[in-house]
Amino acid sequence: MKILIVGAGEVGFRIASHLAHENKDVVVIDNDPEAVRRVAERIDVQVITGSGSNPILLEEAGIKQADILLAVTNHDETNLVACLMASILAPTIKKLARVRDAGFDKFHGSFRDFPPNIDTIISPEIEVVKTIEQLMSVPGAVDINEFANGRVKFVGIHLEEETGLTDIPLSELSKVNTSKPLIAAIVRNEKLIIPRGNDQLKKGDLVYFISEKDNLSKTLAFFNKQEEPIKRALIVGGGRIGRRLASSLEKKSIHTKIIEKDAAQCKLLADSLDKAVVLHGDGSDQAFLNEVNAGNMDILITLTGDEETNILTSLLAKRMGVKKIITKINKFSYFPLMSAIGLQQLISPRLSAINSILRHIRRGKVISAVSIIGDQAEVMEAVALETSDIVGKPLDRLSIPKGVLITGIIRNDQVTIPRGDSVIEPGDQIIIFAMRRAIPKIEKILSVKLEYF
Amino acid sequence: MRWRYIMNITGILVFFLGFLMFFPLLVGLYYQEKVITVLLISMSITILSGLCIFIFSKSPPSDYISQREGMAIVAIGWMAVGLFGALPFYLSGDFPHFVDALFESVSGFTTTGSSILPDIESLSKTLLFWRSFIQWLGGMGIIVLSVAILPFLGVGGMQLYKAEVPTPVPDKLKPHIRDTAMTLWKVYGVFTVVEIVLLMMGGMNLFDSVCHAFTTMPTGGFSTKNASIAHYNSLYFDSVLMVFMVFAGINFSLHYQMLKGKPLAFWKDSECRFFLFALCALITIVSINIYGNVYQTVGESIRFGSFQIISIITTTGFATADYEQWPAMSQIIILLCMIVGASAGSTGGGVKMLRIMLYLKYCYKSLFSTIHPRSVKHIKIGGNAISEDVIQSVLGFLGLYMGIFIVCSILLSGLGLDFMTSIGAVASAIGNIGPGFGLVGPVDNYSHLPYLGKWLLIWCMLIGRLEIFTVIIFLVPEFWRK
Repeated sequence: MKILIVGAGEVGFRIASHLAHENKDVVVIDNDPEAVRRVAERIDVQVITGSGSNPILLEEAGIKQADILLAVTNHDETNLVACLMASILAPTIKKLARVRDAGFDKFHGSFRDFPPNIDTIISPEIEVVKTIEQLMSVPGAVDINEFANGRVKFVGIHLEEETGLTDIPLSELSKVNTSKPLIAAIVRNEKLIIPRGNDQLKKGDLVYFISEKDNLSKTLAFFNKQEEPIKRALIVGGGRIGRRLASSLEKKSIHTKIIEKDAAQCKLLADSLDKAVVLHGDGSDQAFLNEVNAGNMDILITLTGDEETNILTSLLAKRMGVKKIITKINKFSYFPLMSAIGLQQLISPRLSAINSILRHIRRGKVISAVSIIGDQAEVMEAVALETSDIVGKPLDRLSIPKGVLITGIIRNDQVTIPRGDSVIEPGDQIIIFAMRRAIPKIEKILSVKLEYF
Repeated sequence: MRWRYIMNITGILVFFLGFLMFFPLLVGLYYQEKVITVLLISMSITILSGLCIFIFSKSPPSDYISQREGMAIVAIGWMAVGLFGALPFYLSGDFPHFVDALFESVSGFTTTGSSILPDIESLSKTLLFWRSFIQWLGGMGIIVLSVAILPFLGVGGMQLYKAEVPTPVPDKLKPHIRDTAMTLWKVYGVFTVVEIVLLMMGGMNLFDSVCHAFTTMPTGGFSTKNASIAHYNSLYFDSVLMVFMVFAGINFSLHYQMLKGKPLAFWKDSECRFFLFALCALITIVSINIYGNVYQTVGESIRFGSFQIISIITTTGFATADYEQWPAMSQIIILLCMIVGASAGSTGGGVKMLRIMLYLKYCYKSLFSTIHPRSVKHIKIGGNAISEDVIQSVLGFLGLYMGIFIVCSILLSGLGLDFMTSIGAVASAIGNIGPGFGLVGPVDNYSHLPYLGKWLLIWCMLIGRLEIFTVIIFLVPEFWRK
């Protein structure tokens, strides 16, 4: 499979690296020689320096042989023109574009139906607001992904203290509590572990488990995470994401306050928001935070355009006693530092964009896919085809590649967590957890064999 | 710098080389030569050593190789391969001293083609094949071959590729480095096979055809005959070899485009155009220069003039005439050809046409801005502006190349060799050509050189093949700092 990526920024870089590791043919185009050099030195892809909307360069990059075009530069216009040019040069190519400006929101459908016929518009802001709402809905969750139309959730939570669950082998956990969920992965010291029966949970672990929607609160109770309804929210930073989030929250009758430093932006916010309280001031100022009664908020979300302000404001709020804090961070290199300073619920528009792009480029009968834990692993939802190798045999007799876990089978709207003797039948939807190096093998297993002839 | 990891990969390379010794073994079995026992021993030593290095330096697999590590792997890998490649020569007893065997092996892998053998034809067929085969491996590059065949290198392959094929403007034919390497080897293979067929059509036997094709495409120059190509004295063979030497001296990505149905690629590429123009101009000058005083007919002048020029400028080193008998002007042009070399991205050595072109354009730019001090001017190749970094590295390369050439010539003359021999031998070794001047001219060999001189030339050949930086970097203290 050949993929053209226009834009070698953080998003383009991440996706290129992700795909190159899966042995896909990737060509990256960007007009910044420095960015291109970084890609060429770090990732096994072909690079071209120049504007990605230039049809001559697109042709040179082999757009006619390519299957997918990803336009992910920072400029909406470049992305749109690149897609337009692509649909002229190679009408059958699948196109994904990152479009950020809220002005385009209502026209995402039109982009699909009219030229440039973009198959999927990715708006990181919309994605990130979705992620924030998901994080708000599940107490204690650090990472939430939904499968089977939201019926199955793949949740990551932090074990903050030593409980009755830690330091005993997983196989004995069910004796302690019968509602033990299927634990798919543990992240300890930034390393991903696929646990076996004799592995133990430790304090400070990030635990990924899979749960049906209806069982979620029970499962969370298992991990000592209680549901706390959110009534009051404080948003720091009233940019694109802040505004979207505030208007979504006020519709849910959550009492929302939004702080913005820029007076002109405050006026814009006040125009578009009805119930939410718009406050003009500096969110990183402790006195001001006291004034707006930040300590009594159920949740505080920092969304300014400045990474450092977000981090410091979050830390400040944590000291003031806010229970739930969500911090927006763009730089991937900061992620590993965050759990060390006690910020666990992080969101990143770029990560959201990457996830939604991945969801759309998996081959075979993959319905959706998300990458977790800084690219180390991926969760996929797929349809088991009749011709696939995984059908018709009990799971413990399948030759499943190392680093792969089948974590859910959905048949006739019934979700089951599989055991060794479960059998996958044609047409079942399965949820697969896979380490990065196993992904090409998984894709091969899932795809129709006829494709290879 | 993860030295364990570097040694680990070197171990794999040596292991791999051991398996490649299987091919001369087949030749030995076919001709039923006694030397196959020697080859079996060399093969076992190489495979076992590779395995030992690999096991004792076991280190966690890694996705990423830094530029420094890449250079170290390539340089150490080449030294190791040269060393183990010398085993069949040394153990056979045909080479008087280990340095001689090592010289022959490095001369092979670096596609130089200088030999220390006074009587080549007395060597067994097996070893003759091994000589040609290592040139063929070294031509496109043993590291490129490993990147193509061995899956373990993956992403880091790019750094290794860049260290072994350091063109000023890197060129990736395919999105994956592995596919790029594979494609280059396929193109290389296709040309070699066509050449074998053409040589056989002219009446050369299969063994000699294979050996000569194996040394033409890498611009190597080892022959199975004492008198090199002059042995055949055939216009047909001269022409076939000339055509393939020129092909070998052109950027292989152009061959790839041609094979994909874009024959105009040669003409559209400005370096290739420059190369062909330079070739025609030099051939014309030399042919006129030798007409009348060396050769009596126009035909002969052109035939021998063009063969020697093509052979030297592509850094092959086949000979059909003794250019030392030619007038001084022709000899100076031949010395110039040794330094200039073939195109970037080809299998040839020397400074490379692209660097010469960039240098000439840089000189012109300097003159131009003296006339128009406020002018803004870019150096362009084929319509694309070349960045300042590239120009800088080209200037650095040229400076180092000439510096090493001068220092090594002085050292060699210090060992008691005469002026022309010293200059000729060093120019020929750094440029990976083969024949030099004076006592190491086209009809002589390198056997009478002092041992220290041979060691010096071994290093020159390695430095030249890996285009200086990869080897010289080891001498820079900063390289060793943590």
